[in-house]
Amino acid sequence: MSLVAVFAEFRRDWAEALRFYEEAYRALREETVVNKGLMIATSTRLPPVQRLVEIRAVAEQLFFKISTLLLHGGKVEEAIAWFNRHFNSYKHLVGLDEVSFLHWDWLSRQFLVFAELLETSSAAIPNTLSSHFGTPESSLTEWEIQPAYYYQLAANYLREKRYCLDNLLSTGDSEFSRTSGKVPESVMPSVFIGQSARLVEQGDMIEVLPLSDAEYVQYALSEAQRFQDSYEIIALFRKACESFTNLKAPRLASLCSNRMAKEYFFTEDFTDAKKLFDTVSSLYRQEGWVTLLWESLGYLQECSIRLDSAKDFIEYSLEMASLPIFANGDQEIPDSKREYGPAGLPSQSRREALQSEVLSLVRGEEIVSRTDRGCSIAVTKEQPVRIDVDIISPLRMVLLVSVAFHDQSVKPGSPVMFTLSLVSQLPCSIEVDELEIEFNQPKCNFIIINAVEEISAARSNGDNQDVRIETAPSIVLPTNKWLRLTYDVKSDQSGKLECLSVTARIGKSFKICCQAESPASMEDLPFWKFEGMVQTFPTKDPVLSFSGQKVIQVEEPDPEVDLILNASSPALVGESFVVPLTVIPRGHEVYSGELKINLVDARGGGLLMSPRETDPFSSGNHHVELISISRMGDDDESRIHSDKIKKIQQSFGVVSVPDLRVGDKWSCKLEIKWHKPKSVMLYASLGYSPNSAEAARVNVHRSLQIEGKIPISITHTFMMPFRREPLLLSKVKSLPGADQNVYLALNETSILIVTARNSSEVPLRVKSMMIQSNSNKNETPYSIQHVGGVSADDSLLVPGGEFKGVFSVRPKIDSPNLELGSVCLNWNRDLTLSDSEDSGVVTEQKLPAVIVEQSPLVVSLEFPPHAILGIPFLFYIKVSNQTNLLQEIKYSLGDTQSFVFCGPHDNAGFILPKMEYVMSYKLVPLCSGSQQLPQATITSLRYSAALNPSVTATTIFVYPSEPNFFVADNEKETILAKLNL
Amino acid sequence: MIACVAVVGHQNNPLYLQSFTGADDALKLHHIVHCSLDVIDERVNNPKRSVITLNESYLGLLYPTESYKVYGYLSNTKVKFLVVTTDLDVKDTDIRSFFRRFHAAYVDAVSNPFHVPGKKIISRIFAVRVSGIVKAFAPGTYG
Repeated sequence: MSLVAVFAEFRRDWAEALRFYEEAYRALREETVVNKGLMIATSTRLPPVQRLVEIRAVAEQLFFKISTLLLHGGKVEEAIAWFNRHFNSYKHLVGLDEVSFLHWDWLSRQFLVFAELLETSSAAIPNTLSSHFGTPESSLTEWEIQPAYYYQLAANYLREKRYCLDNLLSTGDSEFSRTSGKVPESVMPSVFIGQSARLVEQGDMIEVLPLSDAEYVQYALSEAQRFQDSYEIIALFRKACESFTNLKAPRLASLCSNRMAKEYFFTEDFTDAKKLFDTVSSLYRQEGWVTLLWESLGYLQECSIRLDSAKDFIEYSLEMASLPIFANGDQEIPDSKREYGPAGLPSQSRREALQSEVLSLVRGEEIVSRTDRGCSIAVTKEQPVRIDVDIISPLRMVLLVSVAFHDQSVKPGSPVMFTLSLVSQLPCSIEVDELEIEFNQPKCNFIIINAVEEISAARSNGDNQDVRIETAPSIVLPTNKWLRLTYDVKSDQSGKLECLSVTARIGKSFKICCQAESPASMEDLPFWKFEGMVQTFPTKDPVLSFSGQKVIQVEEPDPEVDLILNASSPALVGESFVVPLTVIPRGHEVYSGELKINLVDARGGGLLMSPRETDPFSSGNHHVELISISRMGDDDESRIHSDKIKKIQQSFGVVSVPDLRVGDKWSCKLEIKWHKPKSVMLYASLGYSPNSAEAARVNVHRSLQIEGKIPISITHTFMMPFRREPLLLSKVKSLPGADQNVYLALNETSILIVTARNSSEVPLRVKSMMIQSNSNKNETPYSIQHVGGVSADDSLLVPGGEFKGVFSVRPKIDSPNLELGSVCLNWNRDLTLSDSEDSGVVTEQKLPAVIVEQSPLVVSLEFPPHAILGIPFLFYIKVSNQTNLLQEIKYSLGDTQSFVFCGPHDNAGFILPKMEYVMSYKLVPLCSGSQQLPQATITSLRYSAALNPSVTATTIFVYPSEPNFFVADNEKETILAKLNL
Repeated sequence: MIACVAVVGHQNNPLYLQSFTGADDALKLHHIVHCSLDVIDERVNNPKRSVITLNESYLGLLYPTESYKVYGYLSNTKVKFLVVTTDLDVKDTDIRSFFRRFHAAYVDAVSNPFHVPGKKIISRIFAVRVSGIVKAFAPGTYG
């Protein structure tokens, strides 16, 4: 049948070939079953062992053909099903014990061949296959289509083969080896698949003779011994491991690594074995698989002995001893050695044994390897062992150190309670000889000595006299029970005090150094966190257990120096405000003092400027500026001397303070200038050393809020001369209240009244007030004269008081935007002790631009300053035409109860260019007192504008009768003199 | 026959693992259960690759070894249940109903107020109940 199949294959009739191969395989299978049923007794041609070998070889050949054809056709599922059937048919066909290794070898080869076939035809595997894994429709799972799966199994069976072979060789008393002693020579494969034959030379004739089973077994054994299976096993596992890693199956990959490591271990390549076991165990540690970790650690332990590393051995042994055992299977089964490796079955008794083994090692005994009696390790004084345990180390289970200060901060030099808690998960109590506590401030380090060991320890620490030594009655750590030790710690150095580590010494030459942990932020122990243990706290005080820290803040010593800042009143914008600062040592002397001054916006916002504005050109952006720091009452020379360090920026200044004894006093003036009204925090901090030696610096801080205020508010008004009213056309045209522009008539004198009001809380003295022209030219387009006002000689301005200056303004050009300059007010504080040279502060305020225009008509009213009841007086209304045009006007005068008058009520007239038109009325007052003249209205027809003289301009006081003023002659002269002024 | 049952927690840590083979193959079973977690991860993280809807807790056959089959089940709280059988031909419905009983036993065990979630299950009653479920398990016995 197989011949037909081969022929079909030759004809590329794949389906036919497959059918016949399957048929041939089935026939072979039937024969195998028959053979098996008759216990190979009715062997026809060949002895039983060789018969089995032949059947396997033929089956392999046929299966290879079938699976190649199936995979070639993309029928992966069928191929895998076929493989499983093939494997299940033959897996129990082990044969005799002596040749079982042949069976495992064959099985391994099946997997290897299939894996390679799968790999070469992986392109043919459809992607849709993976979509229904795990469902009832598919009997396949993810890994079954991966060659890695078969590689790994091939390696497994090869390993099985190696075990069998080793067993066989080690016992060495098999029946076959006794019966036949000699390995037959010249054995070669026969012409038929799966058969072997011996070549016997008889003269020139070469004869092929069949072998007996005993001969064949000897031959197979000798052949098998020639191969280094281990290398192949490692190669297969490595291949599988790499594929599984790529497939993101870390656990399967680590299983392969584990097997690979075991093979390395078997071949006595301990370095590679250790490396692999280390990576594998990190995964088991991470996921908490104790039993798996135990096995790996057992190998690692053994590797460390063989590599002569006592430190590693101790680490692995301690970790194993402190592992929680997963199941309580205490019964030792003879085969467990093979299963669990050198570690044996994980059990409580094993843990205890491991602990005592390590303890005896560190106390000086030798440990001998379990696999090789010639190999041993020891811990000696010359080669002490130190193990470091950090917060991620698995050895936290062995020794966990939690430290807590009872307070959060402490004054320098005063003691603070410090609790040190230790716990161990080792199965038996462990006694520590010495504990060394290390801080970040080495002066605080101390040693706790077991009282029993005290004498010997004191002797050994003879060279370390300056370290504080405490004794404890006994330092014994029972299993999972906190050992709590409380001591006082004192630090003289301000800053952070942190406990870094605690080193426990056991025996003369073994130390275990644990990183200290804060109880508040302590992680759970690996592995033990899954155990249902009673929760225990590192400190008796549960609050401390939840919030305790290994760090404490040692505060600065209290400053004994007074720093006095004074500001009597708010600062005024524009002046150089002086803040006196005084340093008075009370208990400390001041050495290398440094004074820092900082100005900060009191309403938040940090600096008084943005950092981008630091360039010197934009200093105008500073609203408040620190101008200088100067020593009070010093001459210039000493100032230069004392200001060794003096850096001043707009809002920050540093100045050095000379050394001061108790009783000395040092003061300086801070000069600060406000450009804008702003509330400012002034921070002064003095840093100094209390003694001349380099010691911790002490800082004194003071702050003062200073308001910056506007001292004077300046307002102004423009007025027309008394009883004179020019017609300003644009003013008439503009809507009332629409704009705040000031209109002035060209070549007419206007009055400017400037009012300065003291808006601060301190009395001020005005030294002068003037109007400064902005233009540099000598000829200004207007003339301004100071005509009067309140006396300008240092007039006192009480808070809320006003100062008025009167100026006459006469514009000379017609301009819609005439700059009049600015008001300059020179003032200073009204201080009784003011310095004579104080030049005062100039406050400047710009006057708004005015609109100047030619007025076509100017109306002026003329009448006497007062009238007498019943006595007539003349009232002139003069309209002067300033233009070169003829102007027609209409005018009217209304009636009032207070006056009778003669003249027209309404009239009109023409005014010639540059001429004046006078209307005269005679009025007789009828009432006394302040009276309003009849309302006059003058209308210009050309401009359609009416002029109404203002109420104040048309008010007159009427006396009931001729007033009699009696004035002494000399006084009259005085008055006249004054009036003439 | 069921060789082993296991409960695995969130961090892929074993919470309960019991072997029923009588032989000392605990380590082997630990390895098998541990490796099966890869398949669970694969199926849970790539739901679109498998038709298993996330609503269903039963994950199906995870991992065939030469002589065992591993089935998985994922609870809503992401606790994994695994069973290793030696029967190579088991009906899906049998396994499903087995997992339902197993899950119920687990829920009862962790409902114990003295049980801290995330810790190993040490309840004897749970162990007895699980071995009862395992003993009662025989293909075809459940509807």
